[in-house]
Amino acid sequence: MRRIFNFNSSNLLRVIFVIAVFILLFISSISYKHNRDTHESSQLLLHTFEINIELERLISSIKDAEIGQNGYIITHNERYLTPYEFSRDKVNRSFVELNKLTAERKGQQKNLKQLFLLINKRYQCLEEALKYSNSDSYNKEKLENALQRGRVLMANIRAQVDNMKEREKQFLQERQANYDNEISLTPLFTVSVFLVALILIILSYRQISKDIERLKITNKKLLISTKLMDEAEMIGNFSTWQWDLQQDKIHYSDNQFRLLGFSPDAFVPERGTFLNFVHPDDKETLVNSMQTIKEQKKLPLIYYRIVRQDGSIRHFKSIGKLLVENEENAHIILGISFDVTDEYEQNIELSQRNKELEISNQELASFNHVASHDLQEPLRKIQTFISRFSEDDKKAISVRGREYFEKIDASSKRMRVLIDDLLLFSRTNTTKKEVVKANLNDLFQNAKTELNEVITEKKAEINSEKLPKLNVIPYQIEQLFINLIGNSLKYSLDNLAPIIHIGCVKVLSKNYPDVLNQNVKKYYKITFQDNGMGFDPQFKHSIFVLFKRLHSKNDYPGTGIGLAICKKIVDNHNGFITADSNPGEGAVFTVFLPE
Amino acid sequence: MKLFIKFDINTICSLFLKEKLEQLNVDFDTLGFGEIQLKTNVSNEELDTIKKELVPFGFEVVENQKSVLVQKIKDAIIEMVFMDENENNLKSSVYLSEKLNHSYGYLSNVFSEVTYSSIENFIIIQKIERAKQLILIGEMSLTEIAFLLNYSSVAHLSTQFKNTTGITPSAFQRIIKKRRENLK
Amino acid sequence: MQKDALHILLADDDEDDRLFFKDAFDDIKVQTKVDFVHDGLQLMEHLNQPDVVLPDVLFLDLNMPKKTGKECLIEIKKTPHLRDLIIAIYSTSSSDEDIEDTFVQGANIYIKKPSDFNTLKKLINEVITLNWHYHTSGLNRDNFLLSLK
Repeated sequence: MRRIFNFNSSNLLRVIFVIAVFILLFISSISYKHNRDTHESSQLLLHTFEINIELERLISSIKDAEIGQNGYIITHNERYLTPYEFSRDKVNRSFVELNKLTAERKGQQKNLKQLFLLINKRYQCLEEALKYSNSDSYNKEKLENALQRGRVLMANIRAQVDNMKEREKQFLQERQANYDNEISLTPLFTVSVFLVALILIILSYRQISKDIERLKITNKKLLISTKLMDEAEMIGNFSTWQWDLQQDKIHYSDNQFRLLGFSPDAFVPERGTFLNFVHPDDKETLVNSMQTIKEQKKLPLIYYRIVRQDGSIRHFKSIGKLLVENEENAHIILGISFDVTDEYEQNIELSQRNKELEISNQELASFNHVASHDLQEPLRKIQTFISRFSEDDKKAISVRGREYFEKIDASSKRMRVLIDDLLLFSRTNTTKKEVVKANLNDLFQNAKTELNEVITEKKAEINSEKLPKLNVIPYQIEQLFINLIGNSLKYSLDNLAPIIHIGCVKVLSKNYPDVLNQNVKKYYKITFQDNGMGFDPQFKHSIFVLFKRLHSKNDYPGTGIGLAICKKIVDNHNGFITADSNPGEGAVFTVFLPE
Repeated sequence: MKLFIKFDINTICSLFLKEKLEQLNVDFDTLGFGEIQLKTNVSNEELDTIKKELVPFGFEVVENQKSVLVQKIKDAIIEMVFMDENENNLKSSVYLSEKLNHSYGYLSNVFSEVTYSSIENFIIIQKIERAKQLILIGEMSLTEIAFLLNYSSVAHLSTQFKNTTGITPSAFQRIIKKRRENLK
Repeated sequence: MQKDALHILLADDDEDDRLFFKDAFDDIKVQTKVDFVHDGLQLMEHLNQPDVVLPDVLFLDLNMPKKTGKECLIEIKKTPHLRDLIIAIYSTSSSDEDIEDTFVQGANIYIKKPSDFNTLKKLINEVITLNWHYHTSGLNRDNFLLSLK
């Protein structure tokens, strides 16, 4: 958008400038014309002036001749004839001059010809007067006649000159009027053109200042984003670089220098210089990937190490991409390098931890194995050998001996139960946890089958609401059911057939913020309610602790592991188990399992 | 000169046996292949003579007739368990005594004597065997299977399955499935 | 019940267990002939003899030196002439996973070594009876699974 707008603005400016140039050319051509007109009219004035002077000069020359003639006639002194003879030349010269001056004057040439005829006649008169005044051929009558004619001709000449002058004056006036007419429109026109130019210039000034303002804002934004990028690079431990493949020029961002252990612009980056920082073992990788950049114009993700000046080794990760502005000559590779040393070290630490964990898991598993085989083996034999004691054998030893023998038997049995339960407990921890979608109704059924003997013996009634299908470790959930139901059967009241009800509802975790993981929205709440002897609520937490027993082992056989196994199993399924009871009122065990 | 002869071993055997027994003056009926009913009681000495006479020709008297009866009981039970629904509502004791023409008490005694286990036990084994087949076919739910095999409930079937095999029906199904995958 | 004695082979490295086993078989009614091998290697050697008389049931301890019972089991199931052997695992472990695992590998019977001699006799009797039924009643051996704890 902005780009298009800028383009328009600069186009507009261009148009304005072209118009302004045309206006200037126009104005200058008009003023040139005016100058020429002024010059012309002054020339015209001068011309008229010259004509007038020449005419005056003509008249004065004729008058000179007349005065000379008159002087001669009166004195008959030959001296007076000299001006007369000169005047004829002067008149001729003036006439030639006038002929030249009036060459372009309409009508004046004709006037001049008439004037010439009149002047000629006047000179004839002067000749006659001179002839008749001469003593040789004096004729008073003819002289007077000639003088009389001369006076009339002189008046005619003056009239003709005046006429010509008048004509000239008239001509000048015409021209003046014409000139005035022309010049009167010009100021208005000039001013209006000037105003238009001014408006255009103001407009373009506004546009320019607007553009400059925008440029300033953009510049500021650019500055901020550059700064931000720089900060981000420093915080994020990464850097950017550009490689102009055409000019083979490389540009580093400030942080690239920092990541290499230098201050910004500490050196001029070149293709070769970077390799100097690369760890010797990784140089080949880098050379290869530079080749890739040049040939394929891209840089797939690479990992390598950098050795800083101080000898510290940093782990780097780089990736690059062709900067495509226009398809044909994209030649700038944009790259990012990350200093991933911290992550790398964390990863190493993590994998080390994992290894340790694996080892400890293996140890646990082998302990499990030891417990299941090597510990059980001798115990089993003790018990088997005990069982091989026939009644006859027993009779052969003393009563006391028999008593001890019974005790040995009882103790070995208890040890067996302990080992079995302990194994079960450790198995819930260590065995492979194969999570599969299982129908809990089936698992419940299996548990019931497992407990069939006790159920029949105690005439217990066990019913269950419909249970869901869940992703679980089937063995464990089955074990959970067995243990919880078994627990209820075990602590039933002597005179009351056990009734165990298993309920199931779907609940939202937000309703149980204290105990459930809020990241999982829905849980199944499965309750095991019995009518047994219950327990004191103060023990509601401790009953899940390993080896915690509320009853003496003589009253109720058991190892105190069963409910601890339950808790472990529920924990394995990211669920929660809780128990509620009052003595004599039965107990409710509640299991939450994530949906 | 070569001749190719086609012969029926059954006919030969029954004809040969008939001839031999007639030679020994034994009155008998043929009940089917491999079983004959002596019409008169024979003493132990006579029986020994019959055995001795037959041995050279590859005939051997099956010592214990009880074994034969047990086999018949088994066959009857298998037939009973594997036939679908019809007559299944008959009590197995009634069914067996009617089918084999012996009192159930006698059958039960013979069976236990020979196999060291009871008829009831064998019926259970067979029923569970049938259940296994049906489970593996996978078309029926446990409830349907329990109904088909005359169990009062799924729990009853599950319990008996577990008691007989030591594993639950679902574990059985899982194991066989995995085993088949293993083979692939 | 059968003309010939039932042929039983037990692979177990524990002398006491072999003794219990032999005594238990001596005490039951079924006529049997019981042989022993002491470890997995010996077992495989024995089974791979060209003129071997294969046992009707092979009892296999899982925890044996040199070659474990499980390795033997897998090897047996891979060997064509041994594939149809009825194999009873005879082990101390009672974990459901161990049991299921050996069943998946092809075992037919799983017996947890009992800690009582009479129980042992009972279990052996049960195995022999069921095995005989399978043998004589045309039952599908592929479905022969028995777990006794």
